[in-house]
Amino acid sequence: MKDQILGASFRDPSGFLFSRAGTLYRQVNQAYRSDYDFLFSSGQYKRLTSSGLLVSHAETSVEPADPVTAYKVIQPELVPFISYPYEWSFSQFQDAALITLKIQKIALEFGMTLKDASAYNIQFMRGKPVLIDTLSFEIYKENKPWVAYRQFCQHFLAPLALMAYRDIRLSQLLRVFLDGIPLDLASRLLPSRARFNFGLLSNIFLHARAQKAYADKPGEKARVNIGMSKQALLALIESLEATVGRLKWDPSGTEWGNYYEVTNYSDAAFEQKKHLVSEWMERIRPGIAWDLGANTGVFSRLVSRAGGNVVSFDVDPAAVEQNYRQVRREKEKNVLPLICDLTNPSPSIGWNNQERRSFGDRGPADVVLALALIHHLAISNNVPISKLAEFFYEVGHWLVIEFVPKSDSQVHKLLKSREDIFPQYIQGDFEKIFQDKFTIHEAIKLVDSERYLYLMESRKVLSQ
Amino acid sequence: MHFSQISSIALPTIQAYLDPGTGSIIIQVVIAVLVGGGIFLKTFWKKIFHKKPKSENMTTDPTSSDSSESDQPK
Repeated sequence: MKDQILGASFRDPSGFLFSRAGTLYRQVNQAYRSDYDFLFSSGQYKRLTSSGLLVSHAETSVEPADPVTAYKVIQPELVPFISYPYEWSFSQFQDAALITLKIQKIALEFGMTLKDASAYNIQFMRGKPVLIDTLSFEIYKENKPWVAYRQFCQHFLAPLALMAYRDIRLSQLLRVFLDGIPLDLASRLLPSRARFNFGLLSNIFLHARAQKAYADKPGEKARVNIGMSKQALLALIESLEATVGRLKWDPSGTEWGNYYEVTNYSDAAFEQKKHLVSEWMERIRPGIAWDLGANTGVFSRLVSRAGGNVVSFDVDPAAVEQNYRQVRREKEKNVLPLICDLTNPSPSIGWNNQERRSFGDRGPADVVLALALIHHLAISNNVPISKLAEFFYEVGHWLVIEFVPKSDSQVHKLLKSREDIFPQYIQGDFEKIFQDKFTIHEAIKLVDSERYLYLMESRKVLSQ
Repeated sequence: MHFSQISSIALPTIQAYLDPGTGSIIIQVVIAVLVGGGIFLKTFWKKIFHKKPKSENMTTDPTSSDSSESDQPK
C-alpha cells in the first residue's frame, strides 16, 4: 500500500507524518538528528512524557517513507480525535497556551527551546492538553531570542485577548488566519482598555508596531545585532504566562446555559432518556462517539461511562466552556468538548485545503447522538429531513436520535416566528426517510412527552 | 535576580536581516529587559521594605503561575 503523507505535515524540514496501512508514523530526518538525539540524552523526553506534557512514541524499524532523508521512524501514540483552536472553548485555549509556555520553560532547563509554538501542535488527550509534535525542539543556543515568540503571540495571545476583551466568537478568526491572528489586526480589534494590560500592550500593540516599523524598511541587508540571556528569556516566558493566566472569560447570558432547567421534559422523561442512552451504549460499546448538540455534556458522560471516547460538540461557546471546566474539575479522561456549528461545520483549510481537516473528514464515529437537535436543524435552519438522514449516514454508524414533533412546546416556539413550510416534519415521514439509510432497532416514546427516542443502525456495510 | 544578571540581558550576539520577524525579535528583547527589570525592582522592594517571612515556604515568586490549576470555575 502506498504511504500517505499527511497534509498538515510538510513545512518542517525536521520530519513529517505519514500513514501506512492505517498506522500513523513520523519520519525523523537526518537534518534533525542532533536535536532528536539530544532530546533523549538530556532526559527532556522522559521528563515531558512522564508528566503528560508530550505525546509518547516508540521507535520502529519500518521502512521510512523517504529513505534518502530519513534518520528514524517513530510511531506516536494516537490522539483519539484531532481538534483545532477554532473549536476550543476559552479555557481549553488558555490551557493550551499555558502548557506551551510550561514546556518551553522545561525545555530551557534541559538546554533546548521550542522552535514552534503553533496552537495546532497542541491536542487534547485524557482531558488535558498535550504537545504532539516531538520535533518541535531544537538545541538552545546561548543568547538567542525565542524564535517562536511571534508565533506564540499570533496563535495564542492575540486570540485569547480578543476572546476575553472583545468577543468570545473572535476565535473563529483562526479559520481565516491559519498562522494565527495578525497582530496589527488584533491591535485594531482590541478595545483601548486592553492597552492598560502591560502584557497585551507590549506583546500585542507594541509588537505589532515593531513588526510594522521593521517590515517597512526596504529589503536592504541591514543587520541587527541583538541577543538575550537565558535569564531574560525566562523572564519573558514567565511574563507571558502571567499575562495569559490572568485573562478571564466567564460564560454568562448564554443561549443554552440553563437549557436543562428550561426544557419541557418532566424529570421522569429526562431520567428515562438517560436510562435508554446508557442501556444502548452498554450494548453498542462505541470506541468513539460524537454527541452533537451536547450542551454541557450530560449525555456525553453516559456514553463515556460505557468506555468510549466522546467528542461533545455544541454551537454555544458557553456550554462548551462549562463542559470543559467539568472535564478539568472531575479529571475526566474521555470527554472532549468542542465548539461546532452544525449548520456550518469546520471546513478543510490551509494549503491545498488539506492542512486542517473538515468536521466530516475526521469521522465517521461509531455512534452519533442527536438528542433534542433535529428540530433546530430542520426548522431553524430549513434542512429537509432527507438531507438530515444523508448527513447522519455519513458521520456515524449507529445513531441515537430524538424526534421532537411539532406539537412539542419547544418546536411551537420555533414556529411562532416563521411560516410552517415543513410539511415533511412529521414522525411518519421522518421514519420513512431515515429507513432508506438506517435500520430502526428501537423507537421509544418518552413518558409525559410527545417525543420519541430512536436507536438506528446505518445500512452502510462496514469496511474492515 | 541580581543586577549583574539584568545587565546581561541585551548582548550583541545574533545577526538577523531586517524582515517582518526582526520587529518580533527586537520587541521581545525590549519586553524581557522591562520585565526582568520589574522582577529585580520587586525583589529589591520586598527586601528593603517587607518584614522577613516567618518561614522560607511562605515566599512565592509573583510571576510564577501554574495556570492549568488556577482557573477553576467559581
